[in-house]
Amino acid sequence: MRLLIVLYLFTFNVFAIDKIHLTGSSTVAPLMTEIAKAYELKNDNIRIDVQTGGSTKGVVDTRKGRNEIGMASRAAKSSENDLIFHTLALDGIAIIVHKDNPTQNITKSELITIYTGKQKQWPHNSKDISIIHKAEGRSTQELFLAYLGLKNSQIKADIVIGDNEQAIKTLMNLPNGVGYVSIGTAEYHESIGTPIKRIQLEKITASTKNVKNASYPLSRKLSLVTKKDIPDHVKHFLDYSLSNEHEELIKGLYFVPLK
Amino acid sequence: MRISSSILYLGLIPGLWLITCTLILGLPQLRLETFLISPSDAGRAGGLLSIIISTLLILTITLVISVPLASATALAMTYFRRYFLKLSRLLSLSLDVLSAIPSVIFGLFGNVLFVEKLNLGHSILSGGLTLAFMILPTMVRTLESSYHEIEKGYAKTTEALGINFSTFIYQIVFPLGLPALIFATILGMTRAMAETAALLFTSGYSDRMPESVLDSGRSMSVHIYELAMNVPGGDKNAYLTAALLVFILLTINSAITYFGYHLNKRLGIL
Repeated sequence: MRLLIVLYLFTFNVFAIDKIHLTGSSTVAPLMTEIAKAYELKNDNIRIDVQTGGSTKGVVDTRKGRNEIGMASRAAKSSENDLIFHTLALDGIAIIVHKDNPTQNITKSELITIYTGKQKQWPHNSKDISIIHKAEGRSTQELFLAYLGLKNSQIKADIVIGDNEQAIKTLMNLPNGVGYVSIGTAEYHESIGTPIKRIQLEKITASTKNVKNASYPLSRKLSLVTKKDIPDHVKHFLDYSLSNEHEELIKGLYFVPLK
Repeated sequence: MRISSSILYLGLIPGLWLITCTLILGLPQLRLETFLISPSDAGRAGGLLSIIISTLLILTITLVISVPLASATALAMTYFRRYFLKLSRLLSLSLDVLSAIPSVIFGLFGNVLFVEKLNLGHSILSGGLTLAFMILPTMVRTLESSYHEIEKGYAKTTEALGINFSTFIYQIVFPLGLPALIFATILGMTRAMAETAALLFTSGYSDRMPESVLDSGRSMSVHIYELAMNVPGGDKNAYLTAALLVFILLTINSAITYFGYHLNKRLGIL
C-alpha cells in the first residue's frame, strides 16, 4: 500500500496540462461537472476542477483570482460590476396543487398567509390545507423563501420533503395539499398524466416559456462569473459551457435552458 | 438482572434498525458496474469506482500519518509523565479540548493551511492531512490512557527487577498496548471515513478518477451529501453509497477486531 502511495505521488503529469478551477454555487456545480466532463473528453490537455462552497464564495474567489470561473445561482448585484456574469441557465419554481383542486391562481400575499399558517383552509371546500415544504439546504427552498421574504422558522409546514419527485408523490395523494417544485419537473409530470397541476402565480402561468422571457416572478438566473479579461483556454471553455449544446443536461437537472 | 439485560438488548435496536434500513434501501441498486466505472450524469448513473478509490486514498494518507504520530506521542507522554507531571497534564487537557472541536473547524483550518498557504489545492493529500489532524487528539488520548494504565500496573515490578525505564516503555508498555492501538485506529478510521464537513473544504468535490494525490477527489460521504442535497433524483445512488460505506466500515472493523482478538490471545491478555 505504501508503495502505491509513493507511485501516486510521483505520477505528476509531466506534460503541460492547463487546469481550470471552478468554485461556487452547489446548485450549479452538478451541471458544470457534467459539462466539464464532456469538454475534457474533447480536449485532452485540459483538467477542470469543480468545487462547491456557495454563490458568494464563487464570486469572491473570482475577484481574488482563486478560480478562473465562479458559479452563482443568481444574477449580478450592483456591487459586482468589476466582474462579468454570464447566464448559463434559468431556474423557476411552480406552485402545484392536486388536479381536483379548482384553484387557478394564487398571489404572493396568499402564499405568505398559507405558508405561515394564517389561512388554514381552502376557500372552495373549507378543508384543511396540507402544506408541503422542502428541507433546508435545497436551492428551491431558498429561492421560495427569498421570494416570499420569509425565514424558514416562520413556515408552518405539515410535511417536509427532500426532492422534487418526493413533493409530487406526496401531493398526488393529498387532494388538499399545496407544494412547490422546479417548473421542469411539474411540466414533465403533467405531461405524463400525474394528478397534479401548476397554478398561476400573480396571474402568470408557471411555464418554461415564461421563465425564459422573464415574466414569471419566482425564478432566478444561474450564472458563470469571470473577470473582464481571461486567458484563451478559459475563454474557450466558457464559450463551450454557454453554447446551446447542453440542453439535455440542463433539462436533466430540471433547469430551464436559455434558448 | 433480567431487566438490565433486556435494556441492553433494547439498546441494540436503533443501531440494527439503522444499518438494516440503509442496507435494504441501498443494496438493490448494487450492480457489477458500481465497482467498475466512475459516476456519470451528476452521480445518478454510472458506478462509484473513482469515489471508492478517492476514499481509500484519503483514508490511507490519514492512517499512514496519524498512526505512527499518535503512538509516538502517546509513548512520549507516558514517558514524560514521570518527570514533568504538570506539563503532561496540561498536554492531556489541551488534547481533550482539541478532540472536542467540531470537524468543520478542522476543515476550515485544513483549507487555510494545506489548500491555500501550502498551495496543495483541493486535493486528496490536503484531505488526508486534515483528517489526520482531526483524529490525532482522540487517538493520542485513547492510547495514552491505556499506556498509563499499563505503566501504573507494571511500574513497581520493573523497578524491583531493575529494568531501565525506557526499556520498560518500549519492551513492555508498547507491546501490551497493541490492542489499544488497534482500538484507537478503528476509532480514528471510522471517524475519518464518516467525515463530510472537513473534506468538503479540503479534498473537494470532483468525481473524476484521481490521477495523483494532488488531484481533487470526492469521498463517499461527500458523494452521499451531494446526491442527497444537490442532485434531483440522486436519492437512490445516495442510498447505495451509504449502504456501501456502512458495509466497508463493518467489514474493516470486524476484520481488525478479529485480528486483535487473536493478537490478545497470543499476548496472553485474554
